[in-house]
Amino acid sequence: MNETLHLTLKVWRQKDGHSKGHFETYKADNIDSHASFLEMLDVVNDRLAIQGIEPIAFDHDCREGICGACGAVINGRAHGPMSRTTLCQLHMRNFNNNDTIVIEPFRAKALPVVKDLVVDRSGFDRILSKGGFVSVRTGGTPDANATPIAKTKADLAMDAAQCIGCAACVAACPNAAAMLFVSAKVSHLALLPQGEVEKKERVTNMVAQMDQEGFGNCSNEYLCEAACPKGISITNIARMNRQYLASSVIPA
Amino acid sequence: MLKKYFSSSIGKKQTVAVTGFMLILFLIMHLAGNCFIYAGPETFNKYAATLESLGPVLKLIEWALTAVFAIHIAFTAMVVIENKKSRPVGYAASHYKERSLATRLMPYTGIILLVYICTHLFDFTFADTTTAISIFQNHQLGLYGLVVRSFMNPIKLVWYLIAMSAVGFHLSHAIQSLLQTFGVSHPAYTSFFRKLSLGLGVGIALGFSIIPLYVWFYIVPTLI
Amino acid sequence: MSLNSNIPSGPLSDKWTEHKFNLKLVNPANKRKFTIIVVGTGLAGASAAASLAELGYNVLNFCFQDTPRRAHSIAAQGGINAAKNYPNDGDSVHRLFYDTIKGGDFRAREANVHRLAEVSNNIIDQCVAQGVPFAREYGGLLDNRSFGGAQVSRTFYARGQTGQQLLLGAYSALMKEVGKGSVKLFPRREMMELVLVDGVARGIIIRNLVTGQLESYAGDAVILATGGYSNAYFLSTNAMGCNVTAAWRAHKKGAFFANPCYTQIHPTCIPVHGDYQSKLTLMSESLRNDGRVWVPKQKGDKRSPASIPEADRDYYLERKYPSFGNLVPRDLASRNAKTVCDEGRGVGSTGLAVYLDFADSIKRLGHKVIQERYGNLFEMYERITGSDPFKEPMMIYPALHYTMGGLWVDYNLMSTIPGLHVLGEANFSDHGANRLGASALMQGLADGYFVIPYTVGHYLASQPIPKIDTSHPAFKAAELETSTRISQLLSIKGKRTVDDFHRELGMLLWDKCGMGRTEEGLQEALVKIPQIREEFWQNVTVTGSEGELNQTLERAGRVADFLEFAEVLVTDALHRKESCGGHFREESQTPEGEALRQDDTFCYVGAWEFKGVGQAPVLHKEPLTFEAVSLSQRSYK
Repeated sequence: MNETLHLTLKVWRQKDGHSKGHFETYKADNIDSHASFLEMLDVVNDRLAIQGIEPIAFDHDCREGICGACGAVINGRAHGPMSRTTLCQLHMRNFNNNDTIVIEPFRAKALPVVKDLVVDRSGFDRILSKGGFVSVRTGGTPDANATPIAKTKADLAMDAAQCIGCAACVAACPNAAAMLFVSAKVSHLALLPQGEVEKKERVTNMVAQMDQEGFGNCSNEYLCEAACPKGISITNIARMNRQYLASSVIPA
Repeated sequence: MLKKYFSSSIGKKQTVAVTGFMLILFLIMHLAGNCFIYAGPETFNKYAATLESLGPVLKLIEWALTAVFAIHIAFTAMVVIENKKSRPVGYAASHYKERSLATRLMPYTGIILLVYICTHLFDFTFADTTTAISIFQNHQLGLYGLVVRSFMNPIKLVWYLIAMSAVGFHLSHAIQSLLQTFGVSHPAYTSFFRKLSLGLGVGIALGFSIIPLYVWFYIVPTLI
Repeated sequence: MSLNSNIPSGPLSDKWTEHKFNLKLVNPANKRKFTIIVVGTGLAGASAAASLAELGYNVLNFCFQDTPRRAHSIAAQGGINAAKNYPNDGDSVHRLFYDTIKGGDFRAREANVHRLAEVSNNIIDQCVAQGVPFAREYGGLLDNRSFGGAQVSRTFYARGQTGQQLLLGAYSALMKEVGKGSVKLFPRREMMELVLVDGVARGIIIRNLVTGQLESYAGDAVILATGGYSNAYFLSTNAMGCNVTAAWRAHKKGAFFANPCYTQIHPTCIPVHGDYQSKLTLMSESLRNDGRVWVPKQKGDKRSPASIPEADRDYYLERKYPSFGNLVPRDLASRNAKTVCDEGRGVGSTGLAVYLDFADSIKRLGHKVIQERYGNLFEMYERITGSDPFKEPMMIYPALHYTMGGLWVDYNLMSTIPGLHVLGEANFSDHGANRLGASALMQGLADGYFVIPYTVGHYLASQPIPKIDTSHPAFKAAELETSTRISQLLSIKGKRTVDDFHRELGMLLWDKCGMGRTEEGLQEALVKIPQIREEFWQNVTVTGSEGELNQTLERAGRVADFLEFAEVLVTDALHRKESCGGHFREESQTPEGEALRQDDTFCYVGAWEFKGVGQAPVLHKEPLTFEAVSLSQRSYK
């Protein structure tokens, strides 16, 4: 049933990448419990705008949990308290009346704040540009059924390929490591015969870029897996570790 | 190429893991050796003497072990420093509720162990086993006597037990962690590996901890 | 100006092959001397940028999102069609062509649609080679399913995330080229203006969304792959950022806008539940395979669904269409939902919803089978609504989903502005008045991978293209135009928010130019739209400043364009007095209340020329001729 919530928000406000940020407290009264978290922010933002206060900036686009644009740390949890849920799919019925909600951007040296809750995730693009692909050109490809792929393998590849690149894994990691993100792509492609061909260069180059971006090191705490809205498994990290060792011992 | 490997995040982590693995093997052997204490002073001292008789080989092993320790600590330090740098601004709301106690305590248990190892070396390895400390009921009991005497000191006993629980915590995370770091992982075995890790960690810690308790409750009353 | 579609002569099935041979080529060594601007990184934009860069062109690729991978193609669930005929069930290029042209209610060009069907197979090969993890059978070969009422199983899929996997495939091809330096990527940049030099598209003005700076980029050809305009309706299944700005700016510079009234409304979306609602979520159409659609027989029956006895329920689709029942095409399912709600028989707190009930299927097939088939969808529904479809019927309502109309392009995908090419949903070309399920992904990738790499080369090789750079006065003029407009938006400082205006426009369009359209309603809308627009420019509040990340300003610019675009949308709907595909004119229906096409009068593409804001646009007709198919009226009784 619809309920009306009265909330207190402690929101990180930061004018731009060069400024120092701080928390601001806003009242969020009369919020419908059926609203999504981002719709709650929309309502708050509309009220701020009417008062001439600049609304809270946050990234968002599809609002159905697939584009990976949204994300913030809610009361210490990346994407909030529900498992396997992006922030846009989190609904206010999961909160209680009179709750205080702390809203912070994803924090990592490699994810610098652009404004308020908006962070720069372009490091992910740079990592993928170093090997997150199969080097085929358009056209001239063999028939799609020319190479059978065991269903179990194809399914594993699909599990890894579901990553939405939201960076919640980095946000949740005590060391701000990007291992889950990078390993998901390494695994997805290495598991398929099409991507297997260049798996050694791929893992070497992508890990090198990951390190250069300033992400932390993995300490096997698996908080990334717990925070991942798509349930990407840490077995992907193990696979990447294995491949990285193998390609360092016997390079391509 | 090697330089690239050892300066990469995964390479460093694997170095920590492989040295950790060696240290675990060392610990298991050490524990096995310690168990000679249950066989009485002669056997225990004979075991110690056999080790001593290895001479240069023993020296080599000791130096290798020291190197392994040093690498383990140095690479861990590098990793930890980088990790601290990777998140310059922390979270205001507590973030790490799901972290297990063992992982949260990892750096602290590591430091406890480092301090402990120093005291341990001074207490036993570098100690003179022929002094009066080792004499019980007019018998020179050598290293055996030294061990018994040490554990008669309640402060040392408690410190030893603290250190061994640190070993337990450290290893219960470390073993599954090193499997993951070397890519030994499969969803079907994840829970087994975590249990194995916990079991081995606790087992090794208990194995070491029983010895001083055995000394305190069983040997000391018979010797004095 | 007359519209020349440049459709090659010759037999339908040879046209594309012949045409490819006749297209001029650019010498490999000369390709790197050409710069091509690609706006948009969805299926069409990313595939085009990657393919052109592979050929050797310099490509500049822009998107407003923080990374190309977020483009809204990512949200497509169902699948992608191809005429592979792997299941051996009688599919062929010709059948895919025929189904698409018929599905489009005979309002698309035969030649374009045939080309689409021809390259459909290459797309699947290409995607598999890139590592797209399509669903497979136990033998390791690709699995197909039947989709959207097709008689053959020709849909390839990757769980419920086909769009995501195809986009990530195109994105990976793009990132490969970015890594090599052949594509320069510009994320968080929004196109504000198209720059014409001597009547030819030569560049764009963009706003850097982080710094707020305006930047100019010059090129030898411009490609827009900027998606559809569903968000004119405020509530739609499109992502929040989807907008018409790039297409509209091009339209204002001379690109004709074709068939804007062809909008597709998807019948199974989660209904609106409050005025705070920001978007609608689509539930897969496959739910209608086992769910029964019903409303109470009595108007205003507020009993809970469980306590309404069988005798008081109206399973209206099964009643009206005995042979297709709940599986009637999208437009019929949508329109009938609207009809029963208009009669006051809608359910839920707003009265704008109908039940989709699984109780009978659960009884017949068991909880387990339903869980296997729809478990993830039920979970998604429960996450959003807090109600469990196993316990009470789902509530659904139609929502705007896709727009078949778009910028007019010829067979080479070039608009009426020389040098400006338009791909994917942003153009009007392949779906006619209605798009079949699993065809949008096919078209986006066909345009980007297999059409534009040929046709852009032909354009570049066909005429001398003088070298210019951004110091040309045309760029300065366009920049000034843009910055004036931005300053104007910021200076109003009114009392109403941007969303407030957007919501008002959306409600108006949904009411008057939604599922059922009447002369009277459309006339009314044409009066109201300029009023809303006028108030917008006097009373909108846009906080913040120009030189920073300012999401309110971004939205304000887009809404301002929707407010202008809406007029041509409604004008087109008003002039097309027939019913066809997604466009249902209530005046044009059969005695049984079904859509009535008027092929004698309206068998043409309606392309609109811009004449000024508030001025009536001018209609240009491109007649549609059909040689390979005969026009028939759809019937689902």
